[in-house]
Amino acid sequence: MTKNIIEVKNLTKKYKENIAVDHLSFEVKEGEILGLLGPNGCGKSTTINCLLSLLTINEGEIKIFDKKMTPNAYDIKQKIGVVFQDVALFDELTVIENIDYFCGLYIKEKEKRKKCIEDACKLVGLEDYKKYYPKQLSGGLLRRLNIACGIAHKPSLIFFDEPTVAVDPQSRNHILDGIKRLREEGATIIYTTHYMEEVELLCDRIIIMDQGKIIASGTMDEVKALAHNHEKISVQIMNLEEETKEKLLKKIQKLQGVIAASFENHTLLITAENGTEILETLMDRLKDFNISYQHILMMPPTLNDVFLELTGKELRD
Amino acid sequence: MRLHHFKYALKILIKNKMLIFWTFAFPIILGIFFHMAFSNIETSEKFQAIEVGVVTNEENMMTKSMKAALEMLGNEDDENAIFHLHDLSLENAEESLKNKKITAYILLQEKPKVVIHSNSIESTITKQVMEQIVENQSILMNIAEEKMAEMSKEEFSNPEVTYDKIYQKIIEEINLQRQNTNTIDKSPKKLSYTMIEFYTLLAMSALYGGIFGLISINQILANMSSKGKRVAVSPEPKKKLVIGSVIASYLVQLVGIFLLFFFTIFVLHVDYGENIPGIVLLLFVSSLTGLSLGVFIATISKASENTKTGILISLTMFTCFLSGMMGVSMKYIVDSNIPFINQINPASRITDGFYSLYYNNDFSRYFENIFSLLLIAIILIGISVHTLRRQQYDSI
Amino acid sequence: MTVFKAYLKVLDKCKVPIIIYTVCLIFFGAFSLESNREQMNFTKVKPDIYIINHDESGTLTKNLISYLEENTNIKTLNEKNITIEDALFYRDISYVVEIPKGFTEDFLKNRQPKLEVKSVGDYEASLTEELLERYMNTANIYLTYFNEEELLEKISHTLKEEVEVEMTSTLDSDSLSEIATFYNFANYALLGGCIYVICLILSSFQKDLVKKRTIISSLPLKQYNRSLFIANSLFAIVLWLVYVLLSIVMLGNSIFEIHGVFFILNSFLFTLVCLTLSFLLSSLIDNKEAINGVVNVIALGSSFLCGSFVPMSVLPKSVLQIARVLPSYWYIHTNEYLKTLEVVNFSSCKQILFNSSVLVLFALLFIFLNHEVTKRKQRIK
Repeated sequence: MTKNIIEVKNLTKKYKENIAVDHLSFEVKEGEILGLLGPNGCGKSTTINCLLSLLTINEGEIKIFDKKMTPNAYDIKQKIGVVFQDVALFDELTVIENIDYFCGLYIKEKEKRKKCIEDACKLVGLEDYKKYYPKQLSGGLLRRLNIACGIAHKPSLIFFDEPTVAVDPQSRNHILDGIKRLREEGATIIYTTHYMEEVELLCDRIIIMDQGKIIASGTMDEVKALAHNHEKISVQIMNLEEETKEKLLKKIQKLQGVIAASFENHTLLITAENGTEILETLMDRLKDFNISYQHILMMPPTLNDVFLELTGKELRD
Repeated sequence: MRLHHFKYALKILIKNKMLIFWTFAFPIILGIFFHMAFSNIETSEKFQAIEVGVVTNEENMMTKSMKAALEMLGNEDDENAIFHLHDLSLENAEESLKNKKITAYILLQEKPKVVIHSNSIESTITKQVMEQIVENQSILMNIAEEKMAEMSKEEFSNPEVTYDKIYQKIIEEINLQRQNTNTIDKSPKKLSYTMIEFYTLLAMSALYGGIFGLISINQILANMSSKGKRVAVSPEPKKKLVIGSVIASYLVQLVGIFLLFFFTIFVLHVDYGENIPGIVLLLFVSSLTGLSLGVFIATISKASENTKTGILISLTMFTCFLSGMMGVSMKYIVDSNIPFINQINPASRITDGFYSLYYNNDFSRYFENIFSLLLIAIILIGISVHTLRRQQYDSI
Repeated sequence: MTVFKAYLKVLDKCKVPIIIYTVCLIFFGAFSLESNREQMNFTKVKPDIYIINHDESGTLTKNLISYLEENTNIKTLNEKNITIEDALFYRDISYVVEIPKGFTEDFLKNRQPKLEVKSVGDYEASLTEELLERYMNTANIYLTYFNEEELLEKISHTLKEEVEVEMTSTLDSDSLSEIATFYNFANYALLGGCIYVICLILSSFQKDLVKKRTIISSLPLKQYNRSLFIANSLFAIVLWLVYVLLSIVMLGNSIFEIHGVFFILNSFLFTLVCLTLSFLLSSLIDNKEAINGVVNVIALGSSFLCGSFVPMSVLPKSVLQIARVLPSYWYIHTNEYLKTLEVVNFSSCKQILFNSSVLVLFALLFIFLNHEVTKRKQRIK
């Protein structure tokens, strides 16, 4: 069994009357990427700030590397890297100076630091911008620099707080690749986001939060299972008469494994327990009616669906 | 290791060009304005001979002696002359008075009369001097009567000669008396109150310089900026970071205040008195007080950086206002009526420190100011340290 | 109308700093008037002096003091808090007379005792010196001829001698110079207030993205500028009205006489200049942080160089020459001219008309420059 890097028990944080984090307990295992998901204001950032000892907590216990986390636990801090949601950089310093400054808070030896800075630049792809000032960088590059500053000292535990918000696809890929590489190098990563795709791509395990509570956790498949494996199929069909539509619907609704079917304008929407199983039959039926279709989409359950299922509300507001 | 943060804190402050420019240049620009506006004010207050017209209406012994007395006061070669006299006809005098070429004109007649345009201290002095001249006439009469009464009969035989003689004698006596001084002048040598303006300028610069400390500390506070959060999760102890930032800010601040100091000395020729080490010490101490004020505001308030700088600026301007920047007499009014206010007002303390060195080299007063400033700094820093010690926040 | 509404919303957002700034200016303005009544007033006839008396019982001393009491203000100092030296330095008193112990006795015995004096060397001090000399000379001369009792009586009698003074000016120069002082200070208040507030508000309209949107919108530039101009005019006029009201409250009825009306009209013209200048500046300054610096340098600079704080009459000639390029000079010049204006007719108002035209020209120049600048700035670099 791999050991726990982080252990959180009963973590509670209140802002006056507001409970931001409500008796939260979870652990993070060595070498894994844990995705922390939830809508805006669900308590993700507050949880991270509590873990980092930035905020006072009302209740609970936080252990990192098997030690109690306190503001003065410098040996723990030494091994942690944090990439905050906001871009935290000095406008007055160049790219390389920014990295050097933050890295210098962890690593004292100049030579070693130099090497680390080089590596960090390479990791996020900023080699060509070393002498630039933050103001001269695009949004995506700024995010990358923001990450470089957080991880240059090669921490073994890294917190990423929505590092890809408002980032262009190219930078985003760079960032996600970088995170994968960090894991390959042995780092444990906690990753918060509200992008399902990223979680699917990166995470070994996910925790879904809402209103300060964990509402689901486990591996990707485990969580998805919570949505009762419902999949959606949509078929776009043009030029169909009302009469035919109704006949078709009746046929499909009778199919085994179909939970619901309906028409929205020119789109046929089907919810099924297992999409692939009924796909063939569906296409046969369409042929029977002599219907030509523009395209068929199969949609696996998204986080949104899971979330909708669990809380009855949309994830992204 | 401490040097790492210090180096960057310094670099970050220096790179902030707008901040540096306004913090360094503004007091210098203000100093130039002060210099231009006040360079003349004291000379214009210094007594200068009054332009007076003399119109002789009647020619007789009385008016002659009055004229003679006036001329003695209005001697062109005399530096201390009270009047510059102009012999004028009545029309000319009226014209000149209207054009303000003269402050007043004197009608010499049996009962002399002073004609002025409007009320002013010059007119008062003219009237005053004229009264003195008339008065001398009456003294003359008084004493002459006395003398006449004492005179023997032989002397009476040639009345005209004797009368003249007596007059002559008394006038001589009066004139002699005039040259006698009745007073010992113990005036202070240095009375240039516009110097206070420049001292308040240094006070402003010292206190306003706290903005460097404010900004620098703000950057390492987790509840103020995301940069601060990043710093807070690093293994570098907060104490070291704060010290590095504070020293860097202090250095920048000192550069600013010494730039201003040299500028006032070499370009504006401000007089600081002879005690140069005392002044330098005061500059160091007042900058420290300014720094502590900046750090204090940065740590104690949860407001945004803009609001914090706003607080620092208005506090600086208000304390400087009380110490006489917008009118030198303000400091005196506060000093004499509510001295407590200025005892805790760092700007007044700084200004008073310079003043005590310049005006009468009063060391006990100087050191009282130095100690007060240090005390203010220690209290502010003490509270800041206490606040800074907490490393976790209830909310960010 | 849209632009105007947006303006009001921004104004509402910025109200706290605006109110603080305006209240500060008004406070300083009111205070400057108060302290000026104390300090700069050269027309005061009785100088402020201080007497240290070591000869309390001396008859001559008593006589001398009562003479000084008649002709000067003998001040009492709060010696717990301040020293006599402080009072001298800050011109609370201009002259200190120290009467030595046994002064009367020594004097009567012809030992020629001396008074110790401290002077600041200004007109008031000279006047006091003159008074003191007059007294002592008279006393000295009479000493040789009269005994003690007679002496005091003769001195008092002689010193009562008065010369008739005729004043040609019919102006109430005291109240006029008070009004002028107030309106001269308004130079700083109006200039500072207008530039600060207008630049602060317009900087929201100048923000890159907002500006881009405005530029690409179908609203013609002239019309856009005009709407903003009207909105700002309203603010400037309100500021001006506050000052006029304040002057009425503080200076009373004298403001309603013909001179007072001229002062008010002149300040109105100047408000227009401030308004147009602020408009131009707001187009020139992109950086919100720079506003504070610019406000201070321009407002304080104009005020110091043109005689808003320090009377024009004591400014060096060279400074006044430079000041001519600033609108404040012409505004304050009119105020100073009004102070001494005796009869109001066409020829005496020529100077005022000239100064006013210069102000109008300044306003037109600023409007023109602003239009040029905004036109040029339509292209983003």
